[in-house]
Amino acid sequence: MDRRSSIKTLLLLSAGTALLPSCLQEEKKASVTVKNFKISGNEEDIISAVSDTIIPQGKTPGAKDVGAYQFALMMMDDCYSPEDQQKFMKGLKEFDDFSKKKINQSFAKATPAKREEVLKSIESKKDIPENAAFFYNNMKRLTLEAFTQSKYYLTQVHVYQLVPGKFYGCVPVKKAS
Amino acid sequence: MGDSKQSRTFDAIVIGSGMSGGWAAKEFCEKGLKTLVLERGRNVVQPKDFTTTNMMPWEFKHRGEIPYEIQKENPVVSRCYAFREDAEQFFVKDKEHPYIQDKPFDWIRGYQVGGKSIMWARQTQRWSDFDFEGPARDGYAVDWPIRYKDIAPWYSYVEKFAGISGNKDGLPNLPDGEFLPPLDLSCVENYFKDFVAKNYKDRNVIYGRCAHLTQPKQIHFEQGRSQCQNRSLCQRGCPFGGYFNANSTTIPWAEKTGNMTLRPFSVVHSIIYDDEKGKAVGVHVIDANTKESIEYYAPVIFVNAGAYNSNLILLNSKSKRFPNGLGNDNGILGKYAAFHNYRASIHAKYDGFQDTKSEGGRRPTSAYMPRFRNLYKQETDFLRGYALTFYAGRWSYNDQSGFGEDLKNNLLKEPTLGPWSVGSGMMGETIPKETNFLSLDTEKKDDWGVPLLKINIDYDDNDEKMIKDFFEQMTEMYTKAGFTDIKTNDSKQAPGLDIHHMGGVRMGKDPKTSLLNKWHQFHNCPNVFVTDGACMTSTSTQNPSLTFMAMTARAANYAVEQLKKREI
Repeated sequence: MDRRSSIKTLLLLSAGTALLPSCLQEEKKASVTVKNFKISGNEEDIISAVSDTIIPQGKTPGAKDVGAYQFALMMMDDCYSPEDQQKFMKGLKEFDDFSKKKINQSFAKATPAKREEVLKSIESKKDIPENAAFFYNNMKRLTLEAFTQSKYYLTQVHVYQLVPGKFYGCVPVKKAS
Repeated sequence: MGDSKQSRTFDAIVIGSGMSGGWAAKEFCEKGLKTLVLERGRNVVQPKDFTTTNMMPWEFKHRGEIPYEIQKENPVVSRCYAFREDAEQFFVKDKEHPYIQDKPFDWIRGYQVGGKSIMWARQTQRWSDFDFEGPARDGYAVDWPIRYKDIAPWYSYVEKFAGISGNKDGLPNLPDGEFLPPLDLSCVENYFKDFVAKNYKDRNVIYGRCAHLTQPKQIHFEQGRSQCQNRSLCQRGCPFGGYFNANSTTIPWAEKTGNMTLRPFSVVHSIIYDDEKGKAVGVHVIDANTKESIEYYAPVIFVNAGAYNSNLILLNSKSKRFPNGLGNDNGILGKYAAFHNYRASIHAKYDGFQDTKSEGGRRPTSAYMPRFRNLYKQETDFLRGYALTFYAGRWSYNDQSGFGEDLKNNLLKEPTLGPWSVGSGMMGETIPKETNFLSLDTEKKDDWGVPLLKINIDYDDNDEKMIKDFFEQMTEMYTKAGFTDIKTNDSKQAPGLDIHHMGGVRMGKDPKTSLLNKWHQFHNCPNVFVTDGACMTSTSTQNPSLTFMAMTARAANYAVEQLKKREI
């Protein structure tokens, strides 16, 4: 719990510092560093918003609490080919254009309800620009990976056994009570 | 003494510290021989150098994935299933140790103390006379100079020390050994076992024997090892010593005697042959770090560098007596190289046994089907046959569709148990041929001045026919067993990815057609022994490491006797 509230504080702080450059009407700088492609602060906000909409915070931890969008960007930077990175960034733009068409707003600036509306359309897979679909599918894959492979998930939801011990080859399936 | 010749003289030299070299080291040191063990890579001391062994999934930066740049620079090793973030440190990167592929060949290597014994798949099936008599019966390669009776006691010897889990199955084609208890088969594995036994004469599904301490004995406790915990993280090295690797067993055992000098970072350039004395006298080593050239001497030399590196060293060991490589009077050194054909696999679903599952540990083995094709007589249009794995388990999963609260709720639910999925992988014998060979590049050298190895190895028509037969036979067995949604897959992978590199320095009875005698000595240079995969006359289908271990222990004990008698 302590860890989570400190993450929240950290996010508030970074949001505060992020205000300054936008007042000066300049392109906001990203808070994360990637080596192999360029990303602006606005683009980072979209990525973060997509990730948070896929697995929202609530009574239980969501994407934000496990650093999912930072993980997604790091994986895109380290583990994808330059072609895929280009496609991802092109897709991000197409995705936000799609959002502007759909809800007259950049995805990052929209309310949670509006964001859900955009993702619902994207998930419907009808008339979605190819790169936008690529962007979304990979955001979803990486957000899921960040969440289901996180310390939180593997210690508090489905516990990962480093030392599982005895193997039972054939046991009855317990009926759900 | 300092750097005198005397200080560089030993009773025995072992080139390589892995699966087989570790055994040579152990046998020599136990018998009181001052033994120099040369390893081209770094030292790996268990458990401190098994650095990833207790890491949780989320502690790996890329959750196991190898970054794109590394994959791009190292396409060969990146194709290996075990080259993941948790075991990356044990694999040779293509870029650092280049070789020449005259034909595509994925040469997967491990340069460190323990070699590939750290990351191996740990399957340990004995050979039988159906294997040793293969070449003579079917007219390929040359007759093996040994039979099962020669090696059987040595199988027992290494099995007791290594710790092999298995079931006494009483099969003539896969002899029983010294077994620790087997682990369970799953419900559907047992079902398929019974199904095959009932419907096919001479076909058997058994528990795959493996080098795991399912119930350690005193000898294993003395090695500092304990029971396998079914972690299935073996490729990282095991903090329990639950499976056999040289680092937890043979090497520390040899070290304990006080007779071993282990020298990591020692690239063996060649074996020194003294034309006047008419025998090999030592090895020429390049220090991997300083590039310094050093000579070491001993009356007996064991070559256990890993099959194709052993070939390389021997081809590079040129003298007036042997201008074409050590012992190579007949010109076949490097030839008749072979491997296992791992291209074919099959997968399916099974709708039965819905009310049962497996649970608990991650079992480090599967079921196994020994070779049944052409066993008693030639019955197909291809030579020899294949063994195969059989696995049946149920995956559990969480619905990952959609997004938002619904998706999150699904992820937090108890996982859903999927249907039984079953699968088999083929392990095919390949026929050693003169046209599958290793040679040295005449110009290109590595950073240590050693010529680059050229690999010229390919599949042939026999392999293609075998794949076809595997698909037919397995589809038939799977269909009859009631499996559905059957899918076959030919990975088309290059030879080598099986990591069962064999041959090039084959054993045989006749010096005209082979290089090594029945004790693994060169016919014409008897104080040099080759007991790793390079010595293999034919490959059969079994995972070969257990056989290399038994062969090495046998040859090392023979060498000690011969030394005592001053015969070598």
